[in-house]
Amino acid sequence: MTAGATYEKIATTTLGSAASSITFSSIAASWTDLRLVLGNLVVASGTPSLQLQFNGDTAANYSNTYLAGSGTAAVSGSGTGQAQINSSFALNATTPIAIFVDAFSYSGATYKTVLINEAGDLNGSGYVTARVGLWRSTAAITSITIKNSLAVNYNTGTTATLYGIKAA
Amino acid sequence: MAIGKASPKVGKVVDIPANAPTIGTATAGVGSASVAFTADSASVGGPVFSYTVLSNPGSFTTTGTASPLTVSGLTAGTAYTFTVAGVNPTGSSPYSAASNSATILASAFESIATVTAAGGETSLTFSSIAATYKHLQIRGLYRDTTTTSPQAAPLYLRCNTDGATFYASHNLNGVNSAVTAAGSATQSWMQVPYAGVGAWNTAGMYGVSIIDILDYSSTTKYKTIRSFVGSDTNAATTGAGVSLSSGLWMNTAACNQVIIFAGNTAFAAGSTFALYGIKG
Repeated sequence: MTAGATYEKIATTTLGSAASSITFSSIAASWTDLRLVLGNLVVASGTPSLQLQFNGDTAANYSNTYLAGSGTAAVSGSGTGQAQINSSFALNATTPIAIFVDAFSYSGATYKTVLINEAGDLNGSGYVTARVGLWRSTAAITSITIKNSLAVNYNTGTTATLYGIKAA
Repeated sequence: MAIGKASPKVGKVVDIPANAPTIGTATAGVGSASVAFTADSASVGGPVFSYTVLSNPGSFTTTGTASPLTVSGLTAGTAYTFTVAGVNPTGSSPYSAASNSATILASAFESIATVTAAGGETSLTFSSIAATYKHLQIRGLYRDTTTTSPQAAPLYLRCNTDGATFYASHNLNGVNSAVTAAGSATQSWMQVPYAGVGAWNTAGMYGVSIIDILDYSSTTKYKTIRSFVGSDTNAATTGAGVSLSSGLWMNTAACNQVIIFAGNTAFAAGSTFALYGIKG
């Protein structure tokens, strides 16, 4: 077998001013999978949950299933027929949350399935989740929008980095 | 008071290109290099509005308006030097002196091979895996040919051709809004539950998986495996599941072959698994 280099940074966005969404657009079909890393994710107010949309699709084409540990209990749940992939866990105004999103075969002809890992520790409370999400579209993912359920701003300094992973 | 007629002098524009910038440090990256330089302060011939960096060998170029500039498309393991020229309204300056030599880095995460099911295979195999890396990662799309099972499909993993009862696993699962946990020992393969979608679901739906095999080429340790997999079918009660698993292959041989078995029937067409190596 021959090996070839892969795993490339596509783009990084660091908010210079607060904004309620971050969008990666014009994503080329140059890789096999995408990995989105959201660090220092803090909102200006409230406790909204993260939302992801692809290609600006706001129709009810999303669903997800999750497994979560809150520190005192393990829970599982799901959401179907939604207008975005919803996290059911809260962001907050003080403690950064880390989120990793893996989008598989994002430019392929299949429906698009993602794995999401959320980690938020608030020194006494917090959660960790494993989530699978589905976007029922065979279109190539060319843009990813990171929103939240209350449309409040993400703070200045919030960083989102998109990587491409290429298979042999 | 006499009023004189103004007679402005019209200066001749002299076509003088800019002086060459002063080369700075070239820093190697993965498949690229960042090249720093300092603009000529004399602004001879007018302001410089862009710079071009040129690699040697390869003559790869990039153009930008300020230092540093990144040259892409470079070959890992190759040593490059770089020169830079400025462009003003009258043309390009001479190239600068060459930079230091920078050897381009290879990625610590490399693609090794991909296997894709035509449909009907009960297993897919990565063979002759070199001991070049520290860890392996398998990233997969999985749909099986099951037409009757209402639940997500498992995968089974085996290292080399070892079908003896040297495998164990534990998993934590979210499925149909319930949390489950399970473990098994002395198995003939590692089980990864909820990794795939059955053929009874809508065409185009696939489960996905990330499976890491740690220290796979060690000849002194048992091999630890972990997985994060999931299947979602837009159905609250059937077909969906997400799972975290740990696994153990109780063998000190290097794992130079990974066999992935469809847990129920066979792989549907389009199921695909990509193998990556992670350097230590």
